[in-house]
Amino acid sequence: MTHIPRIGIGGPVGSGKSMLIERFVPMLAEKGYSVCIISNDVISKEDADRMRANLATNRGLLPENLVIGLATGGCPHTAIREDPSMNLSVIEEIESKHTDLDLIIIESGGDNITTTFSPLLADYSIYIIDVAGGDKYPRKGGLGIESCDLLVINKIDLAKMVGADLDVMKNDAKKIRSEKPFEFINCKTDEGVMKITEHIIHDVLLDSVPKSTITQEV
Amino acid sequence: MNIDEIEQELGVMQLSDSFFPTGIFATSNGLEFLFTEKKIKGMIDLIEMIRINIIQQIGPSDCVALANAFDSANKQDFDKVVEADSMVFATKLIKEIRSASVRSGVQLIKCVSEFVKDDKILNQYKNNVIKNKAHGVFPVSFAVCCNALKIKKGKSMTMMLYGFTVGIVGAALRLGLIQHFEGQKIIHSIKPIISQTIKEYSNKSLFEMWQFAPQVDIFQMSHEKMDSKMFIT
Repeated sequence: MTHIPRIGIGGPVGSGKSMLIERFVPMLAEKGYSVCIISNDVISKEDADRMRANLATNRGLLPENLVIGLATGGCPHTAIREDPSMNLSVIEEIESKHTDLDLIIIESGGDNITTTFSPLLADYSIYIIDVAGGDKYPRKGGLGIESCDLLVINKIDLAKMVGADLDVMKNDAKKIRSEKPFEFINCKTDEGVMKITEHIIHDVLLDSVPKSTITQEV
Repeated sequence: MNIDEIEQELGVMQLSDSFFPTGIFATSNGLEFLFTEKKIKGMIDLIEMIRINIIQQIGPSDCVALANAFDSANKQDFDKVVEADSMVFATKLIKEIRSASVRSGVQLIKCVSEFVKDDKILNQYKNNVIKNKAHGVFPVSFAVCCNALKIKKGKSMTMMLYGFTVGIVGAALRLGLIQHFEGQKIIHSIKPIISQTIKEYSNKSLFEMWQFAPQVDIFQMSHEKMDSKMFIT
């Protein structure tokens, strides 16, 4: 079976996981990459419905059936780490039917700072936090923040309003993550989002050209 | 107990453990709909729901499929295993339930295949599932895995029914329908129903398989259409 690169996106409730996807998917689409989104919802289908409407129905960036909502029985971390069976089952189905995809995006349900993805489920993981949670977050660490491949700090426009010092967050992130990357972004204005897209293209897709391009060339 | 018996017991524990990865923790078998619609109110109602599910659905359908698939796997009769897979798949009327059963069953087979390498029926079944020649529906996958781990048929049926009960009780706890002591009281009170079900269905043929719980079907179908939900089923 074809293995399609998979990226996991985790983070606390309201940190901007879905919004980040809504922002970088159009950038990937513009470069010709085809993606599928699996949204693990804790309690509703709202995130999946919104992404489907915004990215598929309204903009036609991907087929509607490639935005999939998955319930997690109230255990979002279990669904992506200890027992990713349902996610894997959905992915296996996608991989068998849509071999032309470049990337599968798995969004975790909102969870705590210890969230990590099973290596069997995601090849690369992004953990997203936002400044409104306080500038202590990078310093506090937690497996999600420490071990992810890319740490994203969102809503930087709110920093002054909530008394969060971005320099403190930057220095703490450097310390706790050593050589691993982190980026500051503002999903509302797309500030910094292109960098996330570039990380995905370089680190996950290994700078490969979109499969649709190869098909066209043949 | 000799070494073989101890290993069999460990196999029982491993497959019965809620830690075993089959995704069942994300299912409620329609309980979430009943809870949201306030059609179920506490421990007594929950016991009744589990009882009806076991007596009218899981017992006469899944247990019969498991027992037959187990016997066939034990006799190395692969065609009969596939027949059980096909028949129990057909009894699962509700799309959400059918799909969850297949997803769990396939993941179960794949997981056990990672550490049991020398069972011919397990390998055949897994290969057929991968090639879409068998569904991989949960009771049949469970029978094939239990047989591969040398767990006895009666115990396999007990494990599946216990797992079903614990799954619903776990969902009820997470929904806030019951508290944790009540959960254990429910599991205890279901034991006679489990033992009676095993006694009744361990030797039925595939052609005696049935299930009839139209109201449960309607609740499960209603769950499919819920806008906001925690559980897959």
